Amino acid sequence: MTASPPHAARPSNARLLAALPLLLAAAIGLQVIRDLDRRPFEPQAGMLWFRSGEAVKRMSLGYDTIVADVYWMRAVVYYGGERLSTTTPPNYDLLYSLLDLVTTLDPRFSIAYRFGAIFLAEAYPSGPGRPEQAIALLQRGIERTGRWEYMHDTGFVYYWWLRDYKEAARWFERAAQVPGAPSWLKPLAATTLAAGGDRRTSRRLWEEVLNATDAQWLRGNAEFRLKQLDAMDLLDQLNARAEQYAASQGHVAQSWQALGPAIGLRGIPLDPAGVPLAIDSATGRVSLAANSPLLPLPDEPPPAPPALPPGPRS
Amino acid sequence: MAAAIEIEELSKDFLTGFWRPRPYRALDRLTLSVDEGEVFGFLGPNGAGKSTTLKLLMQLLYPTTGSARILGRPAGDLAVKRRVGFLPENPSFYDHLTGEELLTYFARLFGLRGAGATSRVARVLDDVGLGAERRLRLRQYSKGMVQRVGLAQALVNEPDVVFLDEPMSGLDPLGRRHVRQLMLRLRDRGCTVFFSSHILSDAESLCSRVGILAQGRLVASGRLSEILAFELRGWEVVVANLDDAVRARLEPQVRGITALAHGRYTIELAPDASPERFVHELAASGAQVVSLNPLRETLEDYFVQSVGAAAARETGL
Amino acid sequence: MRAISLVAGAVFKESVRDRVPYSMVGFAVLLIAASYLISQLTAGQDLKIIKDLGLAAISWFGLLIAIFIGIGLVSKEVERRSVYSLLTKPLSRDQFILGKYAGLVFTLVVNLSAMTLALALLLAYMNAVAPPEVKAGWSAPALDPRLLTAVVLTVAELTIVTAIALFFSTFSSPLLSALLTFGLWVAGHFNQDLRNFESVVNAPAVAWIMRGLYYLLPNLAPFNLRAEAVHAVDVPIRDVLLTLAYAACYVAVLLVGAIAIFRRRDFK
Repeated sequence: MTASPPHAARPSNARLLAALPLLLAAAIGLQVIRDLDRRPFEPQAGMLWFRSGEAVKRMSLGYDTIVADVYWMRAVVYYGGERLSTTTPPNYDLLYSLLDLVTTLDPRFSIAYRFGAIFLAEAYPSGPGRPEQAIALLQRGIERTGRWEYMHDTGFVYYWWLRDYKEAARWFERAAQVPGAPSWLKPLAATTLAAGGDRRTSRRLWEEVLNATDAQWLRGNAEFRLKQLDAMDLLDQLNARAEQYAASQGHVAQSWQALGPAIGLRGIPLDPAGVPLAIDSATGRVSLAANSPLLPLPDEPPPAPPALPPGPRS
Repeated sequence: MAAAIEIEELSKDFLTGFWRPRPYRALDRLTLSVDEGEVFGFLGPNGAGKSTTLKLLMQLLYPTTGSARILGRPAGDLAVKRRVGFLPENPSFYDHLTGEELLTYFARLFGLRGAGATSRVARVLDDVGLGAERRLRLRQYSKGMVQRVGLAQALVNEPDVVFLDEPMSGLDPLGRRHVRQLMLRLRDRGCTVFFSSHILSDAESLCSRVGILAQGRLVASGRLSEILAFELRGWEVVVANLDDAVRARLEPQVRGITALAHGRYTIELAPDASPERFVHELAASGAQVVSLNPLRETLEDYFVQSVGAAAARETGL
Repeated sequence: MRAISLVAGAVFKESVRDRVPYSMVGFAVLLIAASYLISQLTAGQDLKIIKDLGLAAISWFGLLIAIFIGIGLVSKEVERRSVYSLLTKPLSRDQFILGKYAGLVFTLVVNLSAMTLALALLLAYMNAVAPPEVKAGWSAPALDPRLLTAVVLTVAELTIVTAIALFFSTFSSPLLSALLTFGLWVAGHFNQDLRNFESVVNAPAVAWIMRGLYYLLPNLAPFNLRAEAVHAVDVPIRDVLLTLAYAACYVAVLLVGAIAIFRRRDFK
């Protein structure tokens, strides 16, 4: 007679536990193989299921601000991702919808309006190049909150992107009239009216933006613009000297070795971004090097017509 | 002797059925009274309405018609509740509390405070035999222990009347003996005990009066001594070593022979037979007499009779 | 009164020993801690999102506590039959209901205070480590007392939800009570829209019904001062007091209803 089986003890899990990592490894291995020859699925355009701010507000059941924060993070990541993308050309189609959602859910979310003001209007490829979207967003902000910042930003968009200096000045004036608005708005309005397009006015505009905000990306943007203006000033100076040289020498400067010593420079001058300037050997003109991060420089607007003396108030 | 419990024409209908609710009569015109100091056994098969009656007395249910008074006041009166204890059937309490905490909570509801509450709780827990387990959470208690805690909380206020719904349920023989002794002590103290049970041996040893409920109606009630005739019904002899020849010879003389296990037999004799002579005869024929018992009518017989009669009335047989 | 406080104390004790409130508070604190990490993603809006997430967590987990303990208050007790031994003590059914409610409100206050404390600690930390130029850019101080107003109104909102849960649990099962309570909370937040439907809908009868529902159902939107607190907008004290008074009245209605139902109930 065979020995009776051992008394039924609690079943051991040793084999099952040994199988677990093997199965998991198999699953992961299959995934790796699958991913080898297929790129991960990337939708053509980003998906935004809800476009209506009101609908999302309804569904948030009182948690509007936190949903606004989520969309804000999404907007920031979306914009940054598109701008830095190296594989596909940037596509900013969703930016306006995202910012619209954020501001509908949380009408006081001021940074979203200002972000839109700057980056919706940015020319392609840095942004979608849709200044009218920026203005629409800011208009809604003004309706909801009446803040001077949004009026100022509207004027800004008119000034810098649409080159409509009269309209810009009008908006700066409106902003100045909001109680509690800073005192530099009124003179800014006047200057814009008088010398819109003038580089000095533009510089003031960007300097005010720099001073009025602490958001790192906004400051960075303003500093970048100011550097561009500095570069333009620098180029103007150097090109004036280059013309003098050409006039005195009878031929254009063909290199820095030629021009540099003549105008008292040692070595090759750097642009505000630290990249050496280039000189065109054919025309003798100084310009930014092709690899300068400051390119493309903003368009030089046509010189403003001479300002008419302020007539009787219309 | 004042009546501790007076029940008059108490009835309870439950509505059954969702779409067309029809009344189901769980208790039909119960009329009963229990004197102070009595131990009253409320007996009946499962579903007879015993728990319903107890809940009506504690105002957990509201009567359809009729009334009940406890210690002269309407059932459910707050003053009455102070002097009364109740043990529900299959009790369940707050799992997260210890036995001590549960009883302290209840003691405080009765108005006991501080050291008074603590000592009373300790005493009651000892009385029911839970002194050692008092600090365990109730979710760790066995069924028997929960039953005992239930008893303890029924007695924590030293009540004048206790209502116990199946007090022995879930208890092992040792526990039952313990509870029996407790109930006798209560009686000795002058407490009125009203308990329901379907275990008749408990009632036989404890009660002064019983009532039998079947299908919502009181089919019998009265003093135990009056109900049971105590007349001799016969004799029962248990024998071993009975060989077949002797058995065959005895069979026509006696009322019945039943085989038990291990070669033992039960022999039933008519009441007028002479048991001594019979035993002598058995011993002479080589059988071994194990026991000799008189058979009297038991509560069980009475119970089966009454309930059977009630059922017969119902079905019209 | 003493009986009510005894029952309330028992409810609080039960909640302390129950795992549900602990896990809720634990989750809320985790979320608040996590918000610190999430805040790095928000391009400079870190203070805003910590406040937003903190207040939302307090509100949401407070809601879960209110519903889960609220339905346990009566439904589970009746289901478990532990109510039999309690109601046979010298305790009226009214006192039972009121005691249960008081205990739950107390539990809520304690739990929400713990969560608020966690948030306050995080904000104090933010205040301590942020460099002055970052601080200058904050539209509201880190430890803004307006946040406390928002929390107080959240507690008031939850006292209404608790009363709703208690009301339903006097006559329905735990699951049904939970669903109905949650449903009413959702309806309470959509309530504002009922008012606007009036202007959109043509049929006057429907508009009447809408308006009736608007007044009848609890209006929970005014209890939401989270956006105002985060953006440092002051709310007139009159509005806050009116809202609190509304809460007290609505709770009274629900408690009276609960008592009325519970008083007449048969416990089979």
